[in-house]
Amino acid sequence: MKTILLIVMFAIFLNPFAGISQELMNGQLIAQKTNDRNEGVSLKRDLIMELKDKRGKTRVRKTVALRKYFGKEKRLVIFYKTPTSVKGTAFLTFDYPDATKDDDQWLYLPALRKTRRISAANRGDYFLGTDLTYEDIKLETKISNNDYNYKTMGREKIDGHDCYVIEAIPKDASIEKELGYSKAKFWIDSQIWMMRKSESWDTAGNFLKTVKVSDIKKVQNIWTIHHINVVNHKTKHQTTFKFENNDYDAALGDDYFTKEALVDGL
Amino acid sequence: MDYKNIYIIAIFYLLIFLSVTKTTYAQEKIKKTLKEKLETSLVVNSDISYEFKTKKNQKSEVILKPEFTYKFTRKSKLIFKGQIYSELQDNLETGTPDENTVSDFSKRLFIGDRTNLELRELYFYTRLRNGLKLSIGKQQIVWGETDGLKLLDIVNPQNFREFLLDDFEDSRIPLWSIKSEFDIQSIGVQLLWIPDKTYHITQDFNAPYFTKSLFKIPPSGVTQELHQADKPTKFFKDSDVGIKFTTFVDGWDISINYLYYYDDLPVFYSRLSQPNTNPTIVINPKYERQQMVGGTFNKVIGSFTFRGELVYVFGQNFISDDPNAHLNIEKSNVYKSALGIDYLKGEYLLSAQLFNEWLVEDITPYNKDTFETNVTFLISKEMLNDNLKAELLWVHSINHKDGYITPQISYWVTTNTQLFLNGNLFYGDDNQLFGQFKDRSRASFGFKWSL
Repeated sequence: MKTILLIVMFAIFLNPFAGISQELMNGQLIAQKTNDRNEGVSLKRDLIMELKDKRGKTRVRKTVALRKYFGKEKRLVIFYKTPTSVKGTAFLTFDYPDATKDDDQWLYLPALRKTRRISAANRGDYFLGTDLTYEDIKLETKISNNDYNYKTMGREKIDGHDCYVIEAIPKDASIEKELGYSKAKFWIDSQIWMMRKSESWDTAGNFLKTVKVSDIKKVQNIWTIHHINVVNHKTKHQTTFKFENNDYDAALGDDYFTKEALVDGL
Repeated sequence: MDYKNIYIIAIFYLLIFLSVTKTTYAQEKIKKTLKEKLETSLVVNSDISYEFKTKKNQKSEVILKPEFTYKFTRKSKLIFKGQIYSELQDNLETGTPDENTVSDFSKRLFIGDRTNLELRELYFYTRLRNGLKLSIGKQQIVWGETDGLKLLDIVNPQNFREFLLDDFEDSRIPLWSIKSEFDIQSIGVQLLWIPDKTYHITQDFNAPYFTKSLFKIPPSGVTQELHQADKPTKFFKDSDVGIKFTTFVDGWDISINYLYYYDDLPVFYSRLSQPNTNPTIVINPKYERQQMVGGTFNKVIGSFTFRGELVYVFGQNFISDDPNAHLNIEKSNVYKSALGIDYLKGEYLLSAQLFNEWLVEDITPYNKDTFETNVTFLISKEMLNDNLKAELLWVHSINHKDGYITPQISYWVTTNTQLFLNGNLFYGDDNQLFGQFKDRSRASFGFKWSL
């Protein structure tokens, strides 16, 4: 018996991570769980964006964001309400469940009264002056199933909540170029499978952004984010997203999620 | 338009408004305060333009744009957009224009020579339970997707006070009309009925942006006599109507459009008269019916967006160079197309467009080739999280080797205040569409403030 115990202890000594790896969940599975969480079928909410530059100049944009699932296809539309300078701007995206099919995106510009198609290949571009990209906006803090290879690094507490820490490396150079990230780290709440923090590095390997998610609470029995802060360490610019009046029971007709509806507004 | 027609329009719109409002109120009532139901905003826009050739200010304008939206329910609203326009030098539209091309209901109210008030838009919008969407009232209806030059965007006429330099949003003249939209399975249908008989506002002979290239210069010793244009007057019979089908299939955005309308420029019928042996060219302009069939498409491939517009106009009239042409006018069907490619990457937008126009019949139009090509290039860059934008638009006629270049830089000082500096540089022959304005090249500086 003594001999067996010694052999086990020796094995653990040789491979100190063996015990931990048994406890840590596979990174891909964690990413999947962030996608599997209940989001409701539809959601209407006010989204307030505060954009602050390195000199402290702040611009505030109030929008109404609608989201609805059409089967497995997700459609998201954002209508800008204030300030007057961007009022009427609207953004629509069709997010297809087939990973091989590019999303379709439109941006309505009221000053031109024109709706522009936006290439999904530009998903790494920044969304209308904020510090999140079009892809970040679409994912709504979920972790992409298809773009990264994941490695679970350990567990840490964020604001008192137990989180898995996973490292994400883009699967290939073209994805890295599209996303604008060479590496990312995500802190995923192990109980509710929501991201509480992320860090990302640009394609040159420089530390780029920190995203902090807070004020997560249940609305109509669905875990809901109320606050996101994004700091761009390169530009020193930061954006705060506040989500208010979340309503999963709002009756959202299908015709809100069309190119024509962007013109009519809410 | 006589007063009988005004009454008919007023009663017609009132009846539709009341019936639709009653229906939508019955559908859904929301108990909100007036403050929650009413959205207000104000935009103040001011700019000064310096003309290089004359070394004088070309314009000093201040524009106030109040806007109100009153939400009756979540699905119905009334939108008001007004405008107070002051051109402090009274240079672009000298004096008080008679606005003969504008219907009585759409005329501006001039206060002196320098200021006018305009009801830009006033319409009621509602979404009914059966999916039908209605917009009733004075509004802008925009078809097409091209930049810089227009092809399909002909539903609303335009004020050419600044030729093509004004923002289309400001130069487009809203019309009293009814727009209804509904879906038949995956096809969107838009129906238009436009009883408003307002046409392009072109400028007088002495205005900076008078488009002289459209008119033949009379031979020496011959005078011209321009008569009042013969405008359509019948309320129903002379209305414009249109239909648009839209769909989205396999990543292709497609629309098919049809418009039965009066051309926004009159046909300048002319004849030589010799009263008391003084040769005179008598011009009798008349607005004529036309039909247009067209469509748009766009598709994203990688980082590129490919888009196009195709238009076929039936029976367009042209001033002729043929001495045998009846009243100096010839008619031809016209095929027009615009193909564009946009490349959007990061903070950069690069866009190029190729416009073609082909007169199908064998005619000899004045100052125009039977096949014409224009190209446009647009480069823009957003910087500092969209605070700063630099842009360059170049419009060039391949046939006539004229065009214009517009560089612009704009900066958001605060959330509500934007400064901008731009230039409009024309080049080419004096007798061509763009080249005729080369003495009008200018630099402008201004600001936009909103509340």
